[in-house]
Amino acid sequence: MAADTPVDVDRLRNEIESTYQQVAERPDGSYHFHTGRRAMDHLGYPADLLDALPASAIDAFAGVANVFGPGLPEVGSRVVDVGSGAGTDTLIAARAVGTDGAAIGVDINEAMLERARAAAAATGMPHVGFRRGLAEELPVDDGWADLVISNGVLNLVPDKAAAYTEIHRALRPGGRLQVSDICVEAAVPDEAKQDVDLWTA
Amino acid sequence: MIEGAGFVDVEFGSPVDTFAGATGEDKARAFGTYGYVIQARKPSA
Repeated sequence: MAADTPVDVDRLRNEIESTYQQVAERPDGSYHFHTGRRAMDHLGYPADLLDALPASAIDAFAGVANVFGPGLPEVGSRVVDVGSGAGTDTLIAARAVGTDGAAIGVDINEAMLERARAAAAATGMPHVGFRRGLAEELPVDDGWADLVISNGVLNLVPDKAAAYTEIHRALRPGGRLQVSDICVEAAVPDEAKQDVDLWTA
Repeated sequence: MIEGAGFVDVEFGSPVDTFAGATGEDKARAFGTYGYVIQARKPSA
């Protein structure tokens, strides 16, 4: 168990993987969060960004805010998307950086990786790829990234401090972190912290 | 936590009512849960 994590880490990872496996395979199912185009419209993603992507990349989107609200990645930059899911944000980043840049999505869920790779192939963009890995062990060389993005993922990571340290390692000096995540305003009781269902909710 | 990992210039954007209209809205309301875009920078040196 990761330091200070009040739940069984293996069980938590299994529950998260199960939830997002379902989203990948049945994106129009009933979940406690919005998915797909409805979610992206709700979070304020501009329509022109979404209209340029294959529907398969959008259908299984799950995120908590528009990670590109502060701006898109610069042309020619290298981007890592931590917990890339269906690959939606990775593909938006890849389109923004162009072929002089690169975008890598990292996820642990094989069903999501398969969906993301298929969507990437449909776009024909050669400078985007998807790799299997954990947020705490990113499959990226030291200092490779100009920008690390993530959307609704770090709140699910058992050892958040390790994830942020790993993101720091993957960024070049002067590189930027731009992540969407949830925060709670109310104190969470200890029993709730031990409830895996709430972690995945 | 973010600064503890070595980042500087940490900024939080405006809250987003992520779960509004979703089935998880009640739980989100119970804990005051909102989405945020968080930005930070790795120092140049």
